[in-house]
Amino acid sequence: MELPVLNETPAASAGGCSSHSCGSSDDQLGHLSDEIRAKVENHPCYSEDAHHYFARMHVAVAPACNIQCHYCNRKYDCSNESRPGVVSELLTPEQAVKKTMAVAANIPQMTVLGIAGPGDPLANPERTFETFRRLSQDAPDIKLCVSTNGLALPESVEELSKHNIDHVTITINCVDPEIGAQIYPWIFWENKRIKGVKGAKILIEQQQKGLEMLTARGILVKVNSVMIPGVNDKHLAEVSKIVKAKGAFLHNVMPLIAEAEHGTFYGVMGQRGPTQDELMDLQDACSGDMNMMRHCRQCRADAVGLLGEDRGDEFTMDKIEAMEIDYQSAMEKRKVIHEAIAEEMHSKRAAKVEKAASHADEPKLNTRPVLMAIATSGQGVINQHFGHAKEFLIYEASPDGVRFMSHRKTDLYCSGDDTCGDGESVLQRTIRALEGCEVVLCSKIGYEPWDMLEQAGIQPNGEHAMEPIEDAVMAVYKEMAAAGKLDEVSADKRATA
Amino acid sequence: MALQIIESCVNCYACEPLCPSKAIFMSSKAGHFRINPNKCTECEGDYQDTQCASICPIEGAILDANGIAVNPPGSLTGIPPERMAEVMAELQAH
Repeated sequence: MELPVLNETPAASAGGCSSHSCGSSDDQLGHLSDEIRAKVENHPCYSEDAHHYFARMHVAVAPACNIQCHYCNRKYDCSNESRPGVVSELLTPEQAVKKTMAVAANIPQMTVLGIAGPGDPLANPERTFETFRRLSQDAPDIKLCVSTNGLALPESVEELSKHNIDHVTITINCVDPEIGAQIYPWIFWENKRIKGVKGAKILIEQQQKGLEMLTARGILVKVNSVMIPGVNDKHLAEVSKIVKAKGAFLHNVMPLIAEAEHGTFYGVMGQRGPTQDELMDLQDACSGDMNMMRHCRQCRADAVGLLGEDRGDEFTMDKIEAMEIDYQSAMEKRKVIHEAIAEEMHSKRAAKVEKAASHADEPKLNTRPVLMAIATSGQGVINQHFGHAKEFLIYEASPDGVRFMSHRKTDLYCSGDDTCGDGESVLQRTIRALEGCEVVLCSKIGYEPWDMLEQAGIQPNGEHAMEPIEDAVMAVYKEMAAAGKLDEVSADKRATA
Repeated sequence: MALQIIESCVNCYACEPLCPSKAIFMSSKAGHFRINPNKCTECEGDYQDTQCASICPIEGAILDANGIAVNPPGSLTGIPPERMAEVMAELQAH
């Protein structure tokens, strides 16, 4: 059985992308049972493929935290922002169950319910487990997930395994306490606040122990790491190696978000986040040993809907109170829709493999890789107007094929530009976010942005509207090659690039 | 002898389950957690450190019996207070 996850590349490029490890090779996934593979297929966070079709939601029932991270500010509640830890409304377990069932009935593509804060779910065991208990009983077709800093993980594994929780995410930013002390100023452990290296050492031990306990039970573990330039950037490839050896299935290296207005230590102290290039390089460096997640949107602790969109406003508590939900019939409807989506995904995947096989006979190009930005609202096709895109998907085209690299937000985490922006226009910000890309593919684009993109050295292209992304990217790449726009490079150079 | 939670509390709930005297309660009147001074023992006889103040993430939100912040500015986040003041002034100038 082929596992449909993670930046799957066409078969034609198999062997050609070993330097990037861009897919989920049989070898990398060999340690997974069929049961676990099945758990991944409709999970938008674990499967790059699935995230175009399936939705997830978080319920904010867990406000308390047992550690402090330098990228977090517990006072934060800006409604304009989409990033971890930010919420508008704290819920009781009872409200959370009601909200989950309302969302599942109204967004039938919703497959996964996660608890991810705003604090640490396992530092709020009563609230977290009460929510899981009720949901596994009342909404058995919803997958349950939890995301944790890992400090209280070992003591929670037994309870987690009782609630049919398929997936756990642990945020692991380091395995070295000296580095940890630069990220975590303190932890709360055995009734004491413990600062510095001593605290970081305990946290790291608990994270690693929890990871081992989970994988021993067959619970799928994803590791999140925040890339902090000058602090843990050089260290994360090592982290990746270790967590893979301990059975983690997927590694998600995320960029640090740090702005002074967030009031975090890193924001106030002027610590910069990584550039798009630095992030991609590190993800590539890690991927030699590990499946990398590249489609994470660093969503809010109360996010609702597809990754990259937030429909939270439709499901505030006052609106939910007014909804009448017949979950039994909703569940039947959900089943039909999920099956139809799975079928569509499978047929698209099969078509991709077939197409790749037919490309295999064509003479191979010998040209440098190119990054292209895609405006899409989902379904794997180019279907969005340039000006409407709040984010772009970034693909790399090379002689080896097309691979998904990342997404880039155009509003740079904040849409309230009147109050906290730096005077740049939306268009200027968008162009800056697309740095390094040579082409933008969208359904349509106006004259003004067209000119500005060209001046910035990015070629707009609206000729491939409604086409599948990979096909269009490859077609444009071949046009560029044919037009002599791509320098030829030797195969050796490409392998080390 | 009692600690006090003031209005800068962000209602994170971390302290409430830790209190050995069950002195911490959500005050709907104040809109945040508070400490019942008649119940608070400052954890004496139970713990070496006062539990609420040892997990609270908000500098200045918990005061001791003399009205002094148990976690003064800079003590939890590591941000020097003068640096914070500088950055806030800069942000407000925009």
